[in-house]
Amino acid sequence: MMDLLLDIVSLICLSSGGFFFLVGAVGLNRMPDVFTRMHATSVSETLGVGLMILGMCLQAGLTLVTVKLFFILVVLWFTGAVATHALARAALHDGEKPLLINRKGALIKTDPVALFPELGLRLAQPLVSETNEPQPKQKPQEDAPSNS
Amino acid sequence: MEEILQTAIWVLPMLAVLAALALAVARALAGPTAFDRLLAANAIGTSSIMILALFGFLTGRPEFLDVGITYALLNVIGTLAVLKFFRYGALGHAQDPETYREPE
Repeated sequence: MMDLLLDIVSLICLSSGGFFFLVGAVGLNRMPDVFTRMHATSVSETLGVGLMILGMCLQAGLTLVTVKLFFILVVLWFTGAVATHALARAALHDGEKPLLINRKGALIKTDPVALFPELGLRLAQPLVSETNEPQPKQKPQEDAPSNS
Repeated sequence: MEEILQTAIWVLPMLAVLAALALAVARALAGPTAFDRLLAANAIGTSSIMILALFGFLTGRPEFLDVGITYALLNVIGTLAVLKFFRYGALGHAQDPETYREPE
Protein backbone atom coordinates (compact mmCIF):
# COMPACT_ATOMS: atom_id res chain seq x y z
CA MET A 1 0.00 0.00 0.00
CA MET A 2 2.78 2.33 0.98
CA ASP A 3 4.67 1.41 -2.17
CA LEU A 4 1.65 2.15 -4.34
CA LEU A 5 1.20 5.54 -2.69
CA LEU A 6 4.88 6.35 -3.19
CA ASP A 7 4.64 5.30 -6.84
CA ILE A 8 1.63 7.51 -7.43
CA VAL A 9 3.20 10.52 -5.72
CA SER A 10 6.40 10.15 -7.73
CA LEU A 11 4.39 9.66 -10.93
CA ILE A 12 2.65 12.95 -10.24
CA CYS A 13 5.97 14.69 -9.52
CA LEU A 14 7.71 13.29 -12.59
CA SER A 15 4.80 13.97 -14.93
CA SER A 16 4.41 17.56 -13.77
CA GLY A 17 8.16 17.96 -14.18
CA GLY A 18 7.81 16.75 -17.76
CA PHE A 19 4.90 19.14 -18.24
CA PHE A 20 7.04 22.07 -17.14
CA PHE A 21 9.80 20.90 -19.47
CA LEU A 22 7.28 21.04 -22.31
CA VAL A 23 6.11 24.48 -21.19
CA GLY A 24 9.68 25.76 -21.27
CA ALA A 25 10.34 24.27 -24.70
CA VAL A 26 7.13 25.68 -26.18
CA GLY A 27 8.03 29.07 -24.72
CA LEU A 28 11.48 28.77 -26.25
CA ASN A 29 9.82 28.46 -29.65
CA ARG A 30 6.92 30.87 -29.25
CA MET A 31 8.48 33.83 -27.46
CA PRO A 32 9.36 36.84 -29.62
CA ASP A 33 12.92 37.75 -28.62
CA VAL A 34 16.04 36.48 -26.85
CA PHE A 35 15.33 37.82 -23.40
CA THR A 36 11.81 36.47 -23.21
CA ARG A 37 13.10 33.11 -24.45
CA MET A 38 15.58 33.06 -21.58
CA HIS A 39 12.68 33.66 -19.24
CA ALA A 40 10.83 30.71 -20.77
CA THR A 41 13.68 28.22 -20.45
CA SER A 42 14.26 29.12 -16.82
CA VAL A 43 10.93 27.42 -16.07
CA SER A 44 12.22 24.05 -17.25
CA GLU A 45 15.61 24.60 -15.64
CA THR A 46 14.24 25.24 -12.16
CA LEU A 47 10.73 23.87 -11.71
CA GLY A 48 10.97 21.04 -14.24
CA VAL A 49 14.31 19.75 -13.00
CA GLY A 50 13.32 20.21 -9.35
CA LEU A 51 10.07 18.27 -9.64
CA MET A 52 11.66 15.48 -11.68
CA ILE A 53 14.50 15.03 -9.21
CA LEU A 54 12.05 15.07 -6.32
CA GLY A 55 10.15 12.25 -8.00
CA MET A 56 13.35 10.26 -8.58
CA CYS A 57 14.43 10.80 -4.97
CA LEU A 58 11.11 9.35 -3.78
CA GLN A 59 11.78 6.25 -5.88
CA ALA A 60 15.41 5.89 -4.86
CA GLY A 61 14.91 6.12 -1.11
CA LEU A 62 17.74 7.03 1.24
CA THR A 63 20.69 5.74 -0.76
CA LEU A 64 23.76 7.08 -2.50
CA VAL A 65 21.58 7.66 -5.56
CA THR A 66 19.67 10.35 -3.69
CA VAL A 67 22.91 12.12 -2.85
CA LYS A 68 23.91 12.11 -6.51
CA LEU A 69 20.48 13.40 -7.51
CA PHE A 70 20.82 16.18 -4.96
CA PHE A 71 24.20 17.11 -6.45
CA ILE A 72 22.70 17.25 -9.95
CA LEU A 73 19.91 19.46 -8.64
CA VAL A 74 22.27 21.90 -6.92
CA VAL A 75 24.64 22.06 -9.91
CA LEU A 76 21.79 22.65 -12.36
CA TRP A 77 20.15 25.33 -10.24
CA PHE A 78 23.35 27.30 -9.76
CA THR A 79 24.83 26.93 -13.24
CA GLY A 80 21.53 27.60 -15.00
CA ALA A 81 21.27 30.98 -13.33
CA VAL A 82 24.90 31.80 -14.06
CA ALA A 83 24.64 30.80 -17.72
CA THR A 84 21.42 32.75 -18.25
CA HIS A 85 22.88 35.82 -16.58
CA ALA A 86 25.99 35.64 -18.74
CA LEU A 87 23.85 35.19 -21.86
CA ALA A 88 21.65 38.19 -21.06
CA ARG A 89 24.62 40.37 -20.29
CA ALA A 90 26.43 39.32 -23.44
CA ALA A 91 23.31 39.99 -25.50
CA LEU A 92 22.95 43.48 -24.01
CA HIS A 93 26.61 44.22 -24.64
CA ASP A 94 26.21 43.00 -28.19
CA GLY A 95 23.48 45.59 -28.77
CA GLU A 96 20.39 43.37 -28.67
CA LYS A 97 17.37 45.54 -28.00
CA PRO A 98 14.67 43.92 -25.88
CA LEU A 99 11.06 44.08 -27.00
CA LEU A 100 9.28 46.41 -24.62
CA ILE A 101 5.71 47.58 -24.52
CA ASN A 102 5.18 51.25 -25.30
CA ARG A 103 2.48 53.58 -24.05
CA LYS A 104 0.03 52.48 -26.74
CA GLY A 105 0.46 48.85 -25.80
CA ALA A 106 2.49 47.75 -28.83
CA LEU A 107 5.65 45.67 -28.65
CA ILE A 108 8.59 47.52 -30.14
CA LYS A 109 12.32 47.05 -29.96
CA THR A 110 13.44 49.60 -27.37
CA ASP A 111 16.90 50.73 -26.47
CA PRO A 112 17.05 49.96 -22.73
CA VAL A 113 19.62 52.69 -22.17
CA ALA A 114 17.02 55.35 -23.05
CA LEU A 115 14.78 54.09 -20.27
CA PHE A 116 17.39 53.30 -17.63
CA PRO A 117 20.33 55.70 -17.78
CA GLU A 118 22.18 53.86 -15.00
CA LEU A 119 22.15 50.73 -17.18
CA GLY A 120 23.86 52.78 -19.90
CA LEU A 121 26.54 53.79 -17.43
CA ARG A 122 27.08 50.19 -16.44
CA LEU A 123 27.20 49.01 -20.04
CA ALA A 124 29.68 51.74 -20.91
CA GLN A 125 32.07 50.54 -18.22
CA PRO A 126 34.54 48.04 -19.59
CA LEU A 127 34.32 44.48 -18.41
CA VAL A 128 37.01 43.37 -16.02
CA SER A 129 38.88 41.44 -18.66
CA GLU A 130 38.76 44.41 -21.01
CA THR A 131 40.65 46.71 -18.67
CA ASN A 132 43.78 44.76 -19.45
CA GLU A 133 45.63 46.37 -22.26
CA PRO A 134 46.05 44.03 -25.19
CA GLN A 135 49.38 42.41 -24.78
CA PRO A 136 51.87 43.70 -27.34
CA LYS A 137 53.28 41.01 -29.48
CA GLN A 138 56.51 39.75 -28.08
CA LYS A 139 59.37 40.80 -30.22
CA PRO A 140 61.52 37.96 -31.40
CA GLN A 141 64.47 37.69 -29.15
CA GLU A 142 67.47 39.40 -30.56
CA ASP A 143 70.38 37.22 -31.23
CA ALA A 144 72.49 36.95 -28.20
CA PRO A 145 76.12 37.65 -28.82
CA SER A 146 77.35 34.30 -29.89
CA ASN A 147 81.02 34.82 -29.49
CA SER A 148 81.97 34.22 -25.92
CA MET B 1 -0.86 -3.21 -12.53
CA GLU B 2 2.21 -2.59 -10.43
CA GLU B 3 4.55 -3.24 -13.35
CA ILE B 4 2.59 -0.98 -15.66
CA LEU B 5 2.80 1.79 -13.08
CA GLN B 6 6.53 1.22 -12.60
CA THR B 7 7.09 1.56 -16.35
CA ALA B 8 4.74 4.48 -16.81
CA ILE B 9 6.52 6.43 -14.06
CA TRP B 10 9.64 6.61 -16.21
CA VAL B 11 8.28 6.45 -19.76
CA LEU B 12 5.74 9.27 -19.53
CA PRO B 13 8.14 11.99 -18.33
CA MET B 14 10.78 10.67 -20.73
CA LEU B 15 8.46 11.23 -23.68
CA ALA B 16 7.73 14.75 -22.44
CA VAL B 17 11.42 15.56 -22.09
CA LEU B 18 12.12 14.08 -25.54
CA ALA B 19 9.47 16.35 -27.04
CA ALA B 20 11.02 19.31 -25.22
CA LEU B 21 14.42 18.29 -26.61
CA ALA B 22 13.03 18.22 -30.16
CA LEU B 23 11.54 21.69 -29.73
CA ALA B 24 14.85 23.00 -28.39
CA VAL B 25 16.64 21.53 -31.41
CA ALA B 26 14.16 23.35 -33.63
CA ARG B 27 15.00 26.63 -31.92
CA ALA B 28 18.73 25.91 -32.17
CA LEU B 29 18.36 25.43 -35.91
CA ALA B 30 16.06 28.42 -36.43
CA GLY B 31 17.43 30.91 -33.91
CA PRO B 32 18.10 34.26 -35.55
CA THR B 33 20.94 35.29 -33.24
CA ALA B 34 23.82 33.34 -31.76
CA PHE B 35 22.35 33.87 -28.29
CA ASP B 36 19.19 32.02 -29.28
CA ARG B 37 21.26 29.08 -30.40
CA LEU B 38 23.29 29.11 -27.20
CA LEU B 39 20.14 29.26 -25.12
CA ALA B 40 18.74 26.31 -27.04
CA ALA B 41 22.00 24.42 -26.58
CA ASN B 42 21.73 25.00 -22.84
CA ALA B 43 18.16 23.68 -22.87
CA ILE B 44 19.28 20.63 -24.87
CA GLY B 45 21.96 19.93 -22.26
CA THR B 46 19.48 20.11 -19.40
CA SER B 47 17.02 17.86 -21.23
CA SER B 48 19.70 15.30 -22.00
CA ILE B 49 20.73 15.16 -18.34
CA MET B 50 17.15 14.42 -17.33
CA ILE B 51 16.81 11.79 -20.07
CA LEU B 52 20.00 10.13 -18.83
CA ALA B 53 18.71 10.02 -15.28
CA LEU B 54 15.27 8.72 -16.31
CA PHE B 55 16.76 6.08 -18.58
CA GLY B 56 19.05 4.93 -15.79
CA PHE B 57 16.07 4.45 -13.51
CA LEU B 58 14.05 2.73 -16.26
CA THR B 59 16.76 0.13 -16.84
CA GLY B 60 17.49 -0.19 -13.12
CA ARG B 61 21.01 1.17 -13.38
CA PRO B 62 21.14 4.57 -11.64
CA GLU B 63 24.91 4.70 -12.18
CA PHE B 64 24.12 6.85 -15.20
CA LEU B 65 23.74 9.72 -12.74
CA ASP B 66 27.52 10.18 -12.60
CA VAL B 67 27.47 10.94 -16.31
CA GLY B 68 24.64 13.37 -15.63
CA ILE B 69 26.71 15.29 -13.08
CA THR B 70 29.54 15.55 -15.58
CA TYR B 71 27.18 16.81 -18.27
CA ALA B 72 25.77 19.42 -15.89
CA LEU B 73 29.25 20.72 -15.10
CA LEU B 74 30.31 20.75 -18.76
CA ASN B 75 27.12 22.49 -19.88
CA VAL B 76 27.76 25.81 -18.17
CA ILE B 77 31.45 25.78 -19.02
CA GLY B 78 30.60 25.23 -22.67
CA THR B 79 28.12 28.11 -22.68
CA LEU B 80 30.58 30.51 -21.05
CA ALA B 81 33.37 29.40 -23.38
CA VAL B 82 31.28 30.01 -26.49
CA LEU B 83 30.19 33.42 -25.15
CA LYS B 84 33.78 34.40 -24.52
CA PHE B 85 34.77 33.18 -27.95
CA PHE B 86 32.09 35.31 -29.59
CA ARG B 87 33.17 38.41 -27.72
CA TYR B 88 36.95 38.17 -28.02
CA GLY B 89 37.51 35.84 -30.91
CA ALA B 90 39.83 33.77 -28.76
CA LEU B 91 39.62 31.65 -25.65
CA GLY B 92 43.10 32.29 -24.34
CA HIS B 93 44.16 35.33 -22.37
CA ALA B 94 46.86 36.68 -24.64
CA GLN B 95 45.50 38.48 -27.68
CA ASP B 96 47.05 39.08 -31.01
CA PRO B 97 47.04 42.91 -31.37
CA GLU B 98 46.57 42.63 -35.12
CA THR B 99 43.31 40.71 -34.89
CA TYR B 100 42.20 42.34 -31.62
CA ARG B 101 38.75 43.84 -32.08
CA GLU B 102 38.09 46.83 -29.87
CA PRO B 103 34.77 46.18 -28.09
CA GLU B 104 32.38 48.95 -28.93
